[in-house]
Amino acid sequence: MLDNLLAFLILAGAAFTFIGSLGLARLRDFYTRLHGPTKATTLGVGSLLVASAIHFSTRGEGISLHEVLVTLFLFITAPVSAHLLAKAALHLRLASLAPAPEEEAPARQGDASPEER
Amino acid sequence: MSLGLVVLIPYLGAVLAAWVARFGRLHSAWVAALVAGLALAWLLPHAPTTFAGATVVQRLAWLPAVGLDLAFRLDGLALLFALLILGIGLLIILYARYYLSERDSMGRFYAYLLLFMGAMLGIVLSENLIQLFLFWELTSLASFLLISYWQGREEARNGARMALAVTGAGGLAMLGGFLLLGEIAGSYELSVILASGDAIRAHPLYVPMLVLVLLGALTKSAQFPFHFWLPHAMAAPTPVSAYLHSATMVKAGVFLLARLFPALSGTPEWAWLLILAGGFTLLLGAFFALFKHDLKGLLAYSTISHLGLITLLFGMGTGLAAVAGVFHIINHAIFKAGLFMAAGIIDHECGTRDMRRINGLWKYMPHTATLAMVAAASMAGVPLFNGFLSKEMFFAESVHLSAGLTHGWLLLVAVVLAGVFAVAYSLRFIHDVFFNGEPVDLPRTPHEPPRWMKVPVEVLVALCLLVGILPAVTVEPVLAMAAASVLQGPVPPHDLALWHGFNPALLMSILALAGGLLLYAARKPLFVLADRWQGRLDARALYQRLLQGLFALAGGVTRALDIGSLQRLIALFVASAVLLGAAGFLGGEAPLTGGRALLPVDGVSLLATLGLLAASLGAVALHRRRLAALILTGAVGLVVSLVFIKFSAPDLALTQLSVEVVTVVLLLLALYFLPQRTPAESGLARRGRDALLALAAGGGAAALAWAVLTRPYESIAPYFLAQSVPEGGGRNVVNVILVDFRGFDTLGEITVLALAGLGIYAMLERLQLPGPDRDAEGRPWDWDTHPAIMASLTRLLLPLALLTSVFILLRGHNLPGGGFIAGLVTAVALIMQYLANGAAWTHARLPPNLHPVIGWGLAVATGTGLASWAYDHPFLTSTFGHFDWPLVGEFELASAMVFDLGVYLVVVGSTLLILIYLGLMHGASHVLRPDEEAR
Amino acid sequence: MLSVVIPIAFTLVALAVALNFWRLLVGPSLPDRILALDTLYVNTIALLVLLGIHLGSALYFEAALLIALMGFVGTVALCKYLLRGDIIE
Repeated sequence: MLDNLLAFLILAGAAFTFIGSLGLARLRDFYTRLHGPTKATTLGVGSLLVASAIHFSTRGEGISLHEVLVTLFLFITAPVSAHLLAKAALHLRLASLAPAPEEEAPARQGDASPEER
Repeated sequence: MSLGLVVLIPYLGAVLAAWVARFGRLHSAWVAALVAGLALAWLLPHAPTTFAGATVVQRLAWLPAVGLDLAFRLDGLALLFALLILGIGLLIILYARYYLSERDSMGRFYAYLLLFMGAMLGIVLSENLIQLFLFWELTSLASFLLISYWQGREEARNGARMALAVTGAGGLAMLGGFLLLGEIAGSYELSVILASGDAIRAHPLYVPMLVLVLLGALTKSAQFPFHFWLPHAMAAPTPVSAYLHSATMVKAGVFLLARLFPALSGTPEWAWLLILAGGFTLLLGAFFALFKHDLKGLLAYSTISHLGLITLLFGMGTGLAAVAGVFHIINHAIFKAGLFMAAGIIDHECGTRDMRRINGLWKYMPHTATLAMVAAASMAGVPLFNGFLSKEMFFAESVHLSAGLTHGWLLLVAVVLAGVFAVAYSLRFIHDVFFNGEPVDLPRTPHEPPRWMKVPVEVLVALCLLVGILPAVTVEPVLAMAAASVLQGPVPPHDLALWHGFNPALLMSILALAGGLLLYAARKPLFVLADRWQGRLDARALYQRLLQGLFALAGGVTRALDIGSLQRLIALFVASAVLLGAAGFLGGEAPLTGGRALLPVDGVSLLATLGLLAASLGAVALHRRRLAALILTGAVGLVVSLVFIKFSAPDLALTQLSVEVVTVVLLLLALYFLPQRTPAESGLARRGRDALLALAAGGGAAALAWAVLTRPYESIAPYFLAQSVPEGGGRNVVNVILVDFRGFDTLGEITVLALAGLGIYAMLERLQLPGPDRDAEGRPWDWDTHPAIMASLTRLLLPLALLTSVFILLRGHNLPGGGFIAGLVTAVALIMQYLANGAAWTHARLPPNLHPVIGWGLAVATGTGLASWAYDHPFLTSTFGHFDWPLVGEFELASAMVFDLGVYLVVVGSTLLILIYLGLMHGASHVLRPDEEAR
Repeated sequence: MLSVVIPIAFTLVALAVALNFWRLLVGPSLPDRILALDTLYVNTIALLVLLGIHLGSALYFEAALLIALMGFVGTVALCKYLLRGDIIE
């Protein structure tokens, strides 16, 4: 039973990690590529970490907290990285399949209006 | 170890004198006097034993395996010199207190003076030759500091440099001589060397050794041809000239001759070298002294001449000559110091040292004039003063020596001529300064100096008179004691009476006196002639030319090899390495692949390696787009840490990861001010050459690695793996090696890291560079300085990161981790706050007070080492124990963990210091727009 | 069961890493490369976790933790560089 759970978690984790990177490699524009690693890979690695936590906790050495710490780190940092990357992309005015959003800087002067490139 | 203390006290006193100066100028003088007095008081209890003829040797084992001990020796000669150094030193301290003007820093002066005093005491009290050399060089350094005391004067700086160059070169030769002497005699201890004189003299290496040792002695005592630095050293303040360059430091050379007299003298080489050098110097110095118009110049050349006299005496090699030499050392020190002090008073009062302008000072300062006249009479060798007695002995010995030489009368003529000149210049000193008309154009009106400024001169002059009139009572015991230790045997009978009857020596003295008077009377035409010839014979010009030639040669070689291009340097370096490696490898006969069986490769490793290859090639291909290349390099770093993990080196992997990110941050900080793209500068041929060179180097390194890895080899690893737990108390072998087995090395490394951090801070502290206000493509920067999401979430991460770092620090001894990694993690966590929230926000909460952190780190690490001294173990021995704590259970603590804490603090401090100050360099490059505000 | 699943998982994650490298080398813009680097860091954590399960050793978790922290800092520094140029203001 435990074995099956572990196998499922590991397999799911690896699969999602792969899907995330596949998205990164294959999708056509940066903003769509951003979704893959930040969401799918995080889920995949999180799943792997849960599997690892269960595996080591049931081996009789006590509850293993390392993985929880790593998971916490990942879940806090992944959104921040994604946010910053998106900001950078917007600043650099990267090619985008969907129309770029209106820029929201307060009282900016002398800047060109957002353009699609 | 009281002798060692006598040497140490002036050093501690130097620090104290420098520190005390902040409370008042005169405190330094008091401290200096007290220190010298204390050293004297520590020395005197040994005097009775030494007077009785015994030699006191005290020893402290330092490196017994190499034969290096701290050993001190007090015999008659050492006691004599120590009394001279301390006694005259006390008088000089008193004199200098009145001599130095308001603007001169007394703390600095007395500190340097005490440093010198300690070094000079070290020379005379040393039992071990290498220790003597150490103190010898220290006196050169102290002399350098003292001559250049008035740093603003160019002549002082030049004089100091020249003195250091000449005495330093001599010291180096002397070291060579000492090493040879130690090998010949079998030990560096003077007790052994002085007893094996015959064996030393008979050894085939005697002559080269003698030449080297004499080079050291002759350069220090300013003998021909190394005499030219002494007149230039007269740019020093007069107390310094009186102490160092007449009474003590220049006497170190003749001290060495006296000290090694029993071991080295008695051979024709010794005699000829010293007689020629000493005799020539005697004449030369006396001759030039007459024609100098500068008070101190005259005295300087006179000193050179008298030192030549002493050297000549030691060169003669007989027992009586040695006694005469020691006697003249005493007398010369007394009267010359007095004369210099008088010259200093004259200079102080008149504002000039030119004897052509100073005349008729008798009516302004009669008391000083009387004192100076007595001392000058002693210098000339007038009866009833001490100089006369030793000159008499000198004449007698010359007569004795010349009787045995074929053209001995030449020596006698030279000696008498020198005596004539001595009388003439002494007469000039007195007559031209105190009589001879009215003063010409003096900057100030002279008058008698303060009471206490004359006291030292009075003391010395009184000694001149006492010794001159009653030698048997005053100086004979000291002289006998000193001579006994010079000769290492019984002292030949000698009579220090004033009247020996009509003998050739007396005749020579009378001739000298008469001749000197006549010469002085006829001086005017000679002066005119001398002024015309001035500057033609100048050893200094030769020295300058030599130095210039040396610099030109060095510059030429450097320019040929280093055209200022980093690429050229690296290309040369790599090419040499490739050539040397290929030569070594192809010359041998071993095949490239050794015998070890190869291991199978798994898919993940293969993939990671291919990725590494691809990223490296990509970085090269994209190298002109710097930021892209940086990102690819980051990927390379990550794969390298994976490689470390594959080969089961988790500590290395952790270190690699931390350093990688710190490097990226560092490079980004620098890249901000640099162009974002590298221009295409190299031609195709050059790139082709570089590519070939790189391939050769990389291929060569790979071949080397392959060859080593495919062979079985003995390594030191099994020892460490076996000893790590029982001796080190930890299961993480890497960490145990770093903080325990090789702890001393780590201590050195964190010191270097601290110094690097402080050096960078010193360079960047006030540097403000303008940064670009647009990026490389011309876009203005983004308005959002610190995006809110990043700022708030990163604050959450700080406690987690710090927790991780402390955890890694504490468990480093048994599991992967350690001080260095933990330090880097803390530094990165704090830098993250700077990145996310800005410098102002972070500084408001955590002021960047990093110097104490670095200091405490070094103190803790060194303290751990010193603590093991308290338990009678060598430095940095670690210990560990098991403790039982109520809740935590059994806990193993090793003292190396405290050391690790020190490493941690230093790493945190230095890394943060470097990164923060690099980050703050930009100054006001971003002008905040009205809508922006510093949050 | 595990002995079958783990090699498959390794293969999948390894392929993910390969794809990341591809994007790193090709990615036309800088944010693409930064994203690829960040994902590379996360995939490495996955590899280490799998390695830990496979070897039954808890030795590599600190490395995973450090990778998470360091990768994040690297990404943040690079993005801030693109946005503002001056990373410590």
